[in-house]
Amino acid sequence: MTDAVTTAPVRMSIQRRGLTGLLLVLFPVGLLGWLILYPILNALVTTLTLRTDQGLVLSLDSYASFFSDPYSLNNLALTFWTTAVCAVLLLVICLPIALYLRFSRGPLSAYVQALAIFPLFVPSVILAYALIRTLGPNGLVDILLNAAGLPKLPSPYLTPWGPVIGLVWDNIPLTVLMLTAGLGQVSDNAVEAARDAGARPRHLLLHIILPQIINALLVALAFAVLGIFSSFTLPYVLGPASPEMMGPYMQRTFADLMQPRMAITQAVITFAICAVFGAFYVRSVIRSREVR
Amino acid sequence: MARLTLSGLTKSFGGLDVVKAVDLEVTDGELVCLLGPSGSGKSTILRMIGGFEVPSGGAIRIDGEDVTAVPPERRPTGMVFQSHALWSHMDVFANIAFGLKLRHLSRAEIRSKVEAVLELVGLAGYGSRRVWQLSGGQQQRVAIARSLVLEPKILLLDEPFASLDQHLRERLREEVRDIQQRLGITTLFVTHGQDEALALADRIVVLKDGAIEQTDRPSALYRRPATRFVAGFIGHMNLVPTAFQAGRSTRPEFALAVEVSDGPAEIAFRPEATGVRPAQGAGHALVYRVTDFGTHLTLDLDLEDGTRIKAHGAGSIAWAPGQRVEVTPAEVLLYRDGVLLSTEPRTAAAAA
Repeated sequence: MTDAVTTAPVRMSIQRRGLTGLLLVLFPVGLLGWLILYPILNALVTTLTLRTDQGLVLSLDSYASFFSDPYSLNNLALTFWTTAVCAVLLLVICLPIALYLRFSRGPLSAYVQALAIFPLFVPSVILAYALIRTLGPNGLVDILLNAAGLPKLPSPYLTPWGPVIGLVWDNIPLTVLMLTAGLGQVSDNAVEAARDAGARPRHLLLHIILPQIINALLVALAFAVLGIFSSFTLPYVLGPASPEMMGPYMQRTFADLMQPRMAITQAVITFAICAVFGAFYVRSVIRSREVR
Repeated sequence: MARLTLSGLTKSFGGLDVVKAVDLEVTDGELVCLLGPSGSGKSTILRMIGGFEVPSGGAIRIDGEDVTAVPPERRPTGMVFQSHALWSHMDVFANIAFGLKLRHLSRAEIRSKVEAVLELVGLAGYGSRRVWQLSGGQQQRVAIARSLVLEPKILLLDEPFASLDQHLRERLREEVRDIQQRLGITTLFVTHGQDEALALADRIVVLKDGAIEQTDRPSALYRRPATRFVAGFIGHMNLVPTAFQAGRSTRPEFALAVEVSDGPAEIAFRPEATGVRPAQGAGHALVYRVTDFGTHLTLDLDLEDGTRIKAHGAGSIAWAPGQRVEVTPAEVLLYRDGVLLSTEPRTAAAAA
């Protein structure tokens, strides 16, 4: 009896606090639903249904059309190729930079960090035109080669390598920052203990550092891949006209060919592929929390 | 077993000398504690011996071989860190086996060595556990096992129990001492805990501002601290300022006769070597506080000039703050300019 009297106000207080919490998250959750979930559902309904005389019927014809069209498949393949090459290059370029920033003691590391972060402050379109002026036909490289009496090199501009160069440059800051943050979790003592046990730099990297930052590595790559797969500006300005990456392809299908349903289908397919990388990211975050 | 020699070992960071020309000889199987307050350079010395810091000057020799420029991975030393520094992506077995794998030992040999060392540190059967499933004490045992399994010539322990609670710390330090004596491994132990140093060490090196203040056996260090700093750092020492004229202390409470030149000095005595009894007359000290530690009573006493000293009081007497008492120190030492005067006081009795 006494218990019931004393616990009732406590229970009410907990319920009131729970309600306050729900109210606090209501607005962001509502915004999430309106700006993200509703467009996704709308896109799915639009691409999976067809308005006929009998009314709205379920139809996969837009997906069938995409997957039976060699041009669309080539564009998808190019997007996959560009994303994979960029991911590998980002790893190869950013991991050594991040390792240097984490373990170097000298004042030079501050300058290296500033240099690595610099692309973050350059808008994509400026970067694209800077690359054209540097690597494009009659660009700075060509002028220098010509001045030295050397033959011209084939320009990456308007080839699949054009967007690769731009996207890698554009994604270096975020990848370096995320890898450096991940490497921050590897303590100096953990590295010193390994050296004490006889580990050389190669052993340190393979057996101590990489296993401890594997989640950070996956998260950094997932972020980069998500951005690259659905990128528009750099592939549009630097990339080839055919085949083209999914971003410019969607825009052209929508604005030039005026096929909104087909453009939405391309968007849904792009989204579905990105969602797989998103799932990798979520899994990595959950795993790192479990270990902690 | 091995012999470690440090000669003129110096380390500077940005022009600041944190270790100043340290000379030390550690013999086969000896356990030496480096003791000092924070910033005294004890961990830096240990890290230089382990190869993690490059000395600015001097030399480190192990069994006569100069290892000053040898990188940590090729030094015959094993280091145990305060933070345990276990690799969380590996289980206990893999943590201990890591160094053995790098030495290309056979799987059977690795298994037998790891199981033997797990048995030694009291963790038999824990090989398959993840390190984050272990308690702090168990993690530190794994860290010790990881070092011991490689059979280093010198074992370096950098405040290994600092993050553990008092009970566990006491138990582990006894275990470490047992293991060290059983294996006869030359060991250097860094601590800022005087109890730990007194309980563990064959010899204690007291450091202050990067230089050695005194090196001696624990009992000698406790009974005859060479400097005022050591006297105050090892246990509690009452330091009472006085002056000497014609070989006699000018302080009325402590009538000492010493063959010493005239001038200021400090009388030093331990609380447990201080007799206290309720004053019959005016007395020469006032009880300020009584603290019961269970094993003994500590009295904080205020002398006439306001100097506060500590003494152990008899449990049979009902001490109370404000009570007047008479103080009779024994085993009195004398310091002048911070250094112990070799002259022994002839008498050490409180003035009547």
